[in-house]
Amino acid sequence: MAALSFEHVSYRYPDAGADALADVDLAVAPGELVLLVGGSGSGKSTLLRAALGLVPHFHGGELRGRVTAAGHDTRDHRPGELARHVGLVFQDPEAQLVMGRPDREAAFGLENLGHPAAEIGLRAREALAAVGASHLAARATGTLSGGEQQRVAIASVLAMGQPILLLDEPTSQLDPVVAEELLGLVVRINRDRGVTVVLAEHRTGRLFAEADRVIAMRDGRVTVDATPAVAARALAASAPWLLPPVTQAFARAGRDELPLTVRDARTLVARAPAAVRPQATRAPIVAGVASGRKRLGDVDALDGATAAFEAGRVTALIGENGAGKTTLARVVCGLVELDRGRLRPAAERAGYVGQDPAHYLVHETVADEVAYGVRNLGLPAAERERRVAATLERLDLAGMRARHPRDLSSGERQRLAIASVVAMEPDLLVLDEPTRGVDGLRKTALVEMVRRMAAQGTAVVVVTHDMDFAAEAADVVTSMASGRVLADRAHRDALATGIFFVSQLGLALGRASLADAVALLAQPHEAARV
Amino acid sequence: MKPLPAALVTGAPLLAAVAAWNPFWLAAATIGAALMLFAAPPPRRLYAVTAFSSGLVVFAVNPFVSVQGLSVLWQGPHIPILDTQVTAEELAYGAGAGMRVAASALAVAAFIRLADADLLLRATARVAPRSAMIAALATRMVPALERDAAGIVLAARTRAARMSSPRTAAALLGPLLATSLERSLSVAEAMEARGYGASGRTRAPERHATGREWAFGLLGATAVAVVAIGLLTGATAYRYYDTLGDPLQPGAVAGAAALALLCAAAAGLVRWPR
Repeated sequence: MAALSFEHVSYRYPDAGADALADVDLAVAPGELVLLVGGSGSGKSTLLRAALGLVPHFHGGELRGRVTAAGHDTRDHRPGELARHVGLVFQDPEAQLVMGRPDREAAFGLENLGHPAAEIGLRAREALAAVGASHLAARATGTLSGGEQQRVAIASVLAMGQPILLLDEPTSQLDPVVAEELLGLVVRINRDRGVTVVLAEHRTGRLFAEADRVIAMRDGRVTVDATPAVAARALAASAPWLLPPVTQAFARAGRDELPLTVRDARTLVARAPAAVRPQATRAPIVAGVASGRKRLGDVDALDGATAAFEAGRVTALIGENGAGKTTLARVVCGLVELDRGRLRPAAERAGYVGQDPAHYLVHETVADEVAYGVRNLGLPAAERERRVAATLERLDLAGMRARHPRDLSSGERQRLAIASVVAMEPDLLVLDEPTRGVDGLRKTALVEMVRRMAAQGTAVVVVTHDMDFAAEAADVVTSMASGRVLADRAHRDALATGIFFVSQLGLALGRASLADAVALLAQPHEAARV
Repeated sequence: MKPLPAALVTGAPLLAAVAAWNPFWLAAATIGAALMLFAAPPPRRLYAVTAFSSGLVVFAVNPFVSVQGLSVLWQGPHIPILDTQVTAEELAYGAGAGMRVAASALAVAAFIRLADADLLLRATARVAPRSAMIAALATRMVPALERDAAGIVLAARTRAARMSSPRTAAALLGPLLATSLERSLSVAEAMEARGYGASGRTRAPERHATGREWAFGLLGATAVAVVAIGLLTGATAYRYYDTLGDPLQPGAVAGAAALALLCAAAAGLVRWPR
């Protein structure tokens, strides 16, 4: 019996114009590890919800075909009952935390499923320890950072120990170290305990080769369902941006071999020595902080941080969860005041796009949302309209200009939030985790956009845990830990030489970005071959 | 704090606010509930502003919608629908009703802030899962609202909005509500996905009540008893129309003072250093 089966399943949300799932026909065997890939709005999240019966029981809408989970037809069993067999970690951690403390959060599902009271505390603690969140057990969930919340959300599902585990972008807010550990844990749970895992991810680098199968979706349909090697071949032709960076690099360089992991790549090509780059010349500083200190609650969010952001450069601000990146970003934008230290604010305008795009959705249409900031600047109507049209076009939102912002998918909302700030043409633009929920294709467009803005003289700062994105977008890298800046304006090649804060291409080939890696691979094979 | 002692100590002013008529009792309920709220952990401001402004609105509106009382203080011009004759009785009734509204809101807010929402959810989930879910969402809603409000203001500021403008601030209320409703739906979905509402629910072992919680419960029970005695003996009664009665009845003053003092003691206990 299949762990999960979809028999010609189509589903349409209430009042939607098109099917979110269209004739999906697949089965997942017990103990399989399946990686689900696809663009934003391709149907991945809906598929996972359907497996737990949330679609249609919670969301309503029209479901055709048959979905079974552990042999139970989801039409006949509500999600509350199916939760005994299927665990689901949602995309947005903040929206799935129910209890006030992480230890109680981890116990919540166990209590619902009627586990013996004596067992609950132990299992909850074990699950928190497994995701490195033991130290958070007694904190108030409202005070946790996004990454910490994500760990707690994952622990609260792992604690329940169901035989089928579904994860919807579980690492989108985690720093690379924790993300690596977490995915390692998921693989271990699958391999050692035989738990069936279906994991939807945009950042496929870590898990592509580990999966037993890769399923790609587009417009609600399954377009590829094959082993990783076969899927890589198929996607290299149709949707290379769904592949791990290292596979993409080989595909784009026209190589026959398509390695799926860093290790595979190294068997094919020697890791290049570090590139020799001249020290980047200083550009005019647009904004910065010197010896900045800021206390938030009981935590020194900034503890003597010094950083400068230059005109025409894209700076990637990286570091572990809770390092102080967001606080530093808000300080330079003038949104948070320093307790001590000196701030050099942007001369004209600083734009900040925060982690939650919902906070930027205050109007009735997409076009009005983008026009909001521009209108507040008091620009003439013609200039306003020009900027709105150009920004909508640039961020691939032109076709949605009359739609209500809250009807957009999470990736589209993210782009709209960015558009509403970018349209103001700030001289300092800060994007805080801009790739959360954004697919590879749109990520490439985002890279192009920040590069273009930098070329026009804007100082762009990208706060990110996505090292592959940082490697593509950034000129320089600023690393933070414990409220301090450890390295300011290092060359982006630093993302090829680090240990954990490193892009996949950097690890494999010694070149941080896709363009550099493709250039390296395009050299005569003999020179580059091991 | 465990929900039961919190319910007792905030239930007393709530009971007085709902059932008493005498202004001293209503004032004591308002003061007592306000003291409890200000002793509770933050956030408190939003609750307090909502409670007091609701009470003020009731006080201000009553003389113009009520057509009662014999002691005319002011006769305004004729306006259709509105009663522009203001009487002392209407003002007194409005003040009483305003205190009733404010005290009720403050008492509920104090309970929300004092009671451990997780324990409340656990305690009620087995008997009334739907109500417990609503209670859980409501207790999460205000802190989440405050965080979302801060986020929305930050997003508006970065888009050059003038936050000092009342129009701008008012325009952000709708999105704030929409965001919190979306969040509530997501939480409800997450609860269902983790088996909420399935049969056979168990509870993780809980800690025993602390000495402070016992003392708090005792004060609360005494306060509830004081209000109950006041109601049974008629000490909470009062006449507003056609002419005002004399509120200075010994039983009413003593009972109201006892209620306020018990609430003050409970508030002091919350703030007492550990």
